[in-house]
Amino acid sequence: MRYAIEVRGLKKSFGEVHALSGVDLAAAPGTVLGVLGPNGAGKTTAVRVMSTLTKPDAGTARVLGLDVVAQAAEVRKRIGLTGQYAGLDPNLSGEQNLVLVARLLGASRRQAKTRANELIERFDLAHAATRAVGKYSGGMRRRLDLAASIVRRPEVLFLDEPTTGLDPQSRNGLWEVVRDLVAAGTTVLLTTQYLEEADQLADTIAVIDTGRVIASGTSSQLKQAVGGQVLRLTPARPDAVEQIVQLAEWAAGAQARAQDGAVTVPVAHAGEAQAVMARIGQAGVDLAGFGLHEPTLDEVFLQLTGHRTNTTEKEPAA
Amino acid sequence: MSAMATETTRPETRRCETTWTSERGTLAQSATMAARSLASIRHAPAQLVDFFMIPLMILLSITFFMGGQMMGSWQDFLQYAGPTIIAMGLFFAVTATGLGLYGDIKEGVFDRLTAMPVSRFALLAGRVAADMVKYAWALLVVGGVAFAIGYRADGGVLGTAAAAGVLLLFLFAASWSMALVGLTAKSEEQIQTWMISLLMPLAYTSTIFVEIDTLPGAVQWWAEINPLTALADSMRVFLDGGDPGGEVLALLGWCAALVAVFVPLSLRAYRRKLGD
Repeated sequence: MRYAIEVRGLKKSFGEVHALSGVDLAAAPGTVLGVLGPNGAGKTTAVRVMSTLTKPDAGTARVLGLDVVAQAAEVRKRIGLTGQYAGLDPNLSGEQNLVLVARLLGASRRQAKTRANELIERFDLAHAATRAVGKYSGGMRRRLDLAASIVRRPEVLFLDEPTTGLDPQSRNGLWEVVRDLVAAGTTVLLTTQYLEEADQLADTIAVIDTGRVIASGTSSQLKQAVGGQVLRLTPARPDAVEQIVQLAEWAAGAQARAQDGAVTVPVAHAGEAQAVMARIGQAGVDLAGFGLHEPTLDEVFLQLTGHRTNTTEKEPAA
Repeated sequence: MSAMATETTRPETRRCETTWTSERGTLAQSATMAARSLASIRHAPAQLVDFFMIPLMILLSITFFMGGQMMGSWQDFLQYAGPTIIAMGLFFAVTATGLGLYGDIKEGVFDRLTAMPVSRFALLAGRVAADMVKYAWALLVVGGVAFAIGYRADGGVLGTAAAAGVLLLFLFAASWSMALVGLTAKSEEQIQTWMISLLMPLAYTSTIFVEIDTLPGAVQWWAEINPLTALADSMRVFLDGGDPGGEVLALLGWCAALVAVFVPLSLRAYRRKLGD
């Protein structure tokens, strides 16, 4: 088996809405595939198809070599799912939720209890083990949700935006758990809106927009494709924005964008940023400020969609 | 593996291997799901009162405020219609099965369970089974109140137990029709509307309150075959200590038909709801 997850030409429409318009994804066993995209890109639909919850209109999805439609029952025995909305019973305590999952998976009462307590300890929920989940904070709920999806260690784990709405500390904790699971051999597919998260966890990243994969590769391949960093320029006089856009595009050879009185332009390296600054200096335009930063998802998107002919010809994730 | 994970050493890394692998049967899974539905009572024990409030209020208000008008004295009315009015109150309460399933699906907990190797039937049957426990509890309380205000069954303990048994059997079958409503409804209000517009006419065109020959001629033919007529007549036969006959057979037929039709339809609706 070459891929733990292999998706080809996946299509799914809900009435007039084309949630997936031909998605290809692949993840080698024991790796993390990050699916990066904004709200409404089709990430959740893709996860629901791969985890046997939704049937695709066209295309195939194989998990561990098993077809998710024809062999759904087999697939369910070997995957874990943490959906975007907590898959927990709010009326049960944290411990009862984990015991429920373990019991349904065939554990005896005692085994279920032991496993639940192990996970509660590991996910730092001991103080709230007997409290109803409805009263948990968002971060606690997320941790318990992840715990519930690994009650029996899954061979493939699907995480749909696992850290959306979490504070940085909870987020780091979740990342740790994901790394542990991968170290133990689990293949993880993780959707996210955050470039940093994909960067931190994923071996390969697929960028998805309006139901299509618009770019895929390793994090560094993608960053090269979108320009390594983003230069942000704030003119001293607001009416100079348009002029700076032109100068920056000319010097950096990439599309610049004006927003909130500032201009952003992707640059491949610091030297290119210097060239942009020099060009602006020559033109005699005064700046109030400037800075270099990692591209945000917005900027990655602008670049990827703006240079579509370059990026869609990239090899699919291998 | 990514360079990232190999850089950081994590000696505390524990494999979460588990030893159990055997799948439990559908019935065991149903029981687990039923226990889960009932476990919430521990966190909110006030629910225990909610379960019997509607049938209790229906029994008391109809008996005390309308019974005298209908039969001369409320005591006579209680003796004639008390048990069947309890049955009607509980029949209205099966809406809870629909509302419960609707809520389960909305919460997202069913997403997780559906992506697990768990029987679809167990997910639905667990809810129905838990509701049966609630109905039995409500029947015990409201039946106890009827006894306290003077109802006496000629059939004695055995007859009363048999009447309770056929009532619970019918509620079990009817719950599956409400399961279908809960799985296909677009909102909670829609489920309530179904209850009012379907269950109430059903109750009023049966022998729950009245005898068939007092009904308008046009609905008499329907009242004859109405499942609630079969239920009310069966309960009366057992409570009066009579010999069960055609009415019990009709009731058993109805129960079998409801289960045979609505279990597969509910499973199909469930697959559509979560599988599309």
